[in-house]
Amino acid sequence: MHEADSFVPLTWADMLHLAPELSLSALFIMIVLLDLVLPKRVNRIWIGGWLTLGSLLISLGFVIWQLLDRNSGGNAAAETIQLLANSYRIDDFGSLLKIVFLAGASLIVLLAIGSTKDDDAITDRAEYFYLLLPAVVGAMAMASSGNLISLYIGLELLSITSYILVGMRKKSSKSAEAAFKYLVTGGISSAFILFGMSYLYGVTGSVDLGGIGAAIPGAIADFKALLYVGFFFILAGFGLKIATAPFHAWAPDVYQGAPTPVAAFLAVVSKGAALAAVFRIMYNTAFFAATDLDAYISKDVFFAMLVLAAAGMLTGTTAALRQKQVKRLLALSGVANAGYLLVPIGLSITVVHSSNFAEFIYYLIAYLFMTVGAFAVLTAVNRTAGEGEMKDFAGMYYRAPWTAAAMVVLLLSLAGLPISGGFFGKLFILIGAANAKAYWLVAIMVASSVISYYFYFGFIRQMFMRSGGEEEEIRVPAATGIAIWVCVAATLALGLFPGIVMEWIDGAFSLQVDLLVK
Amino acid sequence: MEIYTKAAWIIPLLPLAAFLLLTALGRSYRRAGVLIGTAGALAAFLLSLLVLIGRLGETAVDYSKAFDWITIGDYTLRIGFEVTNLTSMMLVVVTLVSLLVNIYSAGYMKSDERITVFYGYVSLFTFSMLGLVLSDNLLSLYIFWELVGVCSFLLVGFWYARPAAKAAAKKAFIVTRIGDAGLLVAILLLFWYMPDHRLEFTMIQSVFDGPSGAITTELSTLIALLIFLGAVGKSGQFPLHVWLPDAMEGPTPISALIHAATMVAAGVFLIARTYDIFLDSAAAMQTVAYIGGFTAIFAATIALAQNDIKRILAYSTVSQLGYMMMALGLGSLTGGIFHLFTHAFFKALLFLGAGSIIHAVHTQNIQEMGGLGSKMRVTAWTFGIGALALSGIPPLSGFWSKDLILSVALQENKLLFIVGVAAAFCTALYMARLFFLVFMGKPRSSLGGAHESPSVMTIPLMVLAALAVVAGFVETPWNGALGSWLSGGIAEEAHSSGIAIIASIAVGVLGIYLGWLIYVKGSVSRSIVSDKAPWLVMLLERKYFIDECYERILVKPLKGLGTLLMALDSYVIGGAVRLVSAAADSAGKAAVRLQNGQVQTYGIAALLGLVVIVLAIVGRRFWS
Repeated sequence: MHEADSFVPLTWADMLHLAPELSLSALFIMIVLLDLVLPKRVNRIWIGGWLTLGSLLISLGFVIWQLLDRNSGGNAAAETIQLLANSYRIDDFGSLLKIVFLAGASLIVLLAIGSTKDDDAITDRAEYFYLLLPAVVGAMAMASSGNLISLYIGLELLSITSYILVGMRKKSSKSAEAAFKYLVTGGISSAFILFGMSYLYGVTGSVDLGGIGAAIPGAIADFKALLYVGFFFILAGFGLKIATAPFHAWAPDVYQGAPTPVAAFLAVVSKGAALAAVFRIMYNTAFFAATDLDAYISKDVFFAMLVLAAAGMLTGTTAALRQKQVKRLLALSGVANAGYLLVPIGLSITVVHSSNFAEFIYYLIAYLFMTVGAFAVLTAVNRTAGEGEMKDFAGMYYRAPWTAAAMVVLLLSLAGLPISGGFFGKLFILIGAANAKAYWLVAIMVASSVISYYFYFGFIRQMFMRSGGEEEEIRVPAATGIAIWVCVAATLALGLFPGIVMEWIDGAFSLQVDLLVK
Repeated sequence: MEIYTKAAWIIPLLPLAAFLLLTALGRSYRRAGVLIGTAGALAAFLLSLLVLIGRLGETAVDYSKAFDWITIGDYTLRIGFEVTNLTSMMLVVVTLVSLLVNIYSAGYMKSDERITVFYGYVSLFTFSMLGLVLSDNLLSLYIFWELVGVCSFLLVGFWYARPAAKAAAKKAFIVTRIGDAGLLVAILLLFWYMPDHRLEFTMIQSVFDGPSGAITTELSTLIALLIFLGAVGKSGQFPLHVWLPDAMEGPTPISALIHAATMVAAGVFLIARTYDIFLDSAAAMQTVAYIGGFTAIFAATIALAQNDIKRILAYSTVSQLGYMMMALGLGSLTGGIFHLFTHAFFKALLFLGAGSIIHAVHTQNIQEMGGLGSKMRVTAWTFGIGALALSGIPPLSGFWSKDLILSVALQENKLLFIVGVAAAFCTALYMARLFFLVFMGKPRSSLGGAHESPSVMTIPLMVLAALAVVAGFVETPWNGALGSWLSGGIAEEAHSSGIAIIASIAVGVLGIYLGWLIYVKGSVSRSIVSDKAPWLVMLLERKYFIDECYERILVKPLKGLGTLLMALDSYVIGGAVRLVSAAADSAGKAAVRLQNGQVQTYGIAALLGLVVIVLAIVGRRFWS
């Protein structure tokens, strides 16, 4: 424990600061009880689906209220609220990420509502929805935590519920296999992370992120090797969660076996939470300005993140070239995007380039919408042709012209072409990398984007230039339709008005107050 | 009234909404399609009219509004709109002609299978043209400039089953692109040299107006000429005029809307918007004046020998646009814009009248027509008014605007005055020829079924005829209302000149009289020229062999070069691309090999990956 902080129990006033998390937890318990109490004839999609969605939206409302309240009056440097001896923090970093997680989870619940009816392999309809709630609470805890313990608890809460969710299709052996693989991989990941954390604690004697950061410069001389081990194991552990190369191999298998909405959840919320944790940990501990030669431990850790980013981008795009299974392809696309998202983190903050967080969160938001949208279209297509192959999209323009048009927007965004959120997200990251003079990374980003055109346009070729034979019209369920069009609208809005979003984030976010734990 | 000016940004959105609605509806809603398209144009017209009325007072202030679109580093890209007296006038001209063409097309395109698509395209064009007019900076003007080009392409090639229409659409697009490239380079130069990279017209005005020293005269000459190149392409000036007559393959209402009244005038409008750049450079002004004057006489002589009614009108349009350019080049903004204004109405009238004739007789060859005057009274009367206006007979609108241009020319440049008068003579002669051959004489038996067009087509004709009569009175030699209004109260130097008026009337009357002698009375033989100088007729009929020259000098060598480049592309570049794709492919194979489904492999891969990264990154520190 950091010496300066004495432990103060939660007061009632603090409860208000924790309203997003607490409301979500309380509603979760309520839905569980309802599911147990209500008779079988009550539709579980109603209890599970719509109530879960409502809970997420309530929590989202709280977070937005907190965020606006903190940033009202243009006061970018509002005091951070620290709870429980600084182990839990309410700041703009956490709040913005929570908005991403909650919005993503809400859209995923929508598309799950639209697609569950057709999936006979899922037996526990209500659990399938409400288990997302503790997972989201875990993700939110990861974004808000100020020390290693609360961060790890959040991580495990997210991970363990995800293992169950992946195996939700109990009647499908693929789903069971995926759940098992995810459990094993997740175990390795947790082990790596804990191992690395234990070294950091051992060297610095603190679990508080600020405390570790303060103690490291003094400890470098004696414990250089131990610090390297600590940082690299943490990085590898989160690398598995983020699914960047070479830690990505589990992703295609797990996404394929998991129910599609859960795959979307892993791709967006899990990945986002792990990236947030890396962002928070590394900037608080590994980012220090030592004047002597020892500073290269910091440089090396950040450089390692850039290497992981480059590996993710290249492996994700090249492996996806030969992929015909859509979920596997989207998993590999997620690997490449994990690479893009690691770039602003790994670039570190320099005199000429300090908008890392804005670049990161902008692309994360764009990634959220385009990925969830693509998964949503996939669930709609899978209703008629269940294999999830690329060729199921054949002739989609003739079978569902509007949905095909929506998919085109999402694919343009994934490929990073204007006018879409993905284009500006990548552009901002690219400009950031160029400002930081990491030209080799710029080259890799451009190259992997160009390679990715091949498989993204493969969809367009299928949808517009192949006839689907005599297959019938694709009917999109209302809930899925809402999810798709929200994603499309947001993608276009991000592409048309990028300036507004970027400026707001840049204005609200302050490195000193919102990211660093003091 | 200020409120309408502030709401001017809504005007282009109305036809855009119509376009989107029409596209969403699909082809089956034929009647609804007509109504939606017309309603969009009507709403836009009414709002434009309110904007114009609001600005008629003496004190109307230019209004512009913009917002930040994209911020990259220090540079902010702003988009917005600007309402000046000039733009408000253009708004009304564009929306009015568009509205009338929408109404007219309900009759003309009635039996076309793709009428809804047609209305969609027309609405899209109206949106783009209004966007062009309202743009407050060169960049968004350029976007709309290209968009009207695309609409023109779509509409010229509307009957894409005809090979001639396809070829004409392609030609129109490619030839105008040559000019557009010039405009783009001009914009890039301005972007580079303007303070703060600002491209707003107001900024351009303040930088070039007076000796700010930000941009040298040589540079402004270059920029002005490049902008003029864009205008030459769009407004069909020599030597890029070749696409405009071919564009007559499109439906006739389109010829009236795009290729007579609005889009082709965009070049004139562009120069008027960036006039301060031109004023900065005497050389550029002279170029504009001479190219304009040459085009005016050049196209007018070609029109004398053509037999296709629409092509005659197309060459006439080229010639009249030449007048406008000449006026601008001679320093008379008012003259150019005034002629644009009057020409929009009488030329749209003539095209729609020609459409009415073609609708009735199903041919475009005037030699095959005759005696239609008794069968199509409304068309004949309105067409006659249009023809007289074009020929410059007072008190019709064409007289006043042409007279203003000729007066300016008389003062500024005697040579161009003579050219202008000669072109006016030719204009009167070819219009007389056209009118007499089509409407007078004995009815041909082959055209027995010809009858007047339905009222949905004749009413627009009558409206335009009325405008062709009265539109000229906004600016007369004794009342420079338009000029002082356009320039915001500072009246341009009055250019009334007795000689110009007399000369202008004389050549107009003379031209018509000669036409009457040849084609009605027959006292002058029709073949008098072709007997004595067959080469001259041949030269005119073949349009001075410009197309053939281009084919020989430009198209063939370019095609050869293209073949060469294609070989280079497919072997050298294509080879490189195949090499890269093969490399990416084999990398993909390697990545797939890892994916063997065994979770223990994944774990080992992760561990090995960690070890490799640690060794690579940390190792170099410890063992270096």
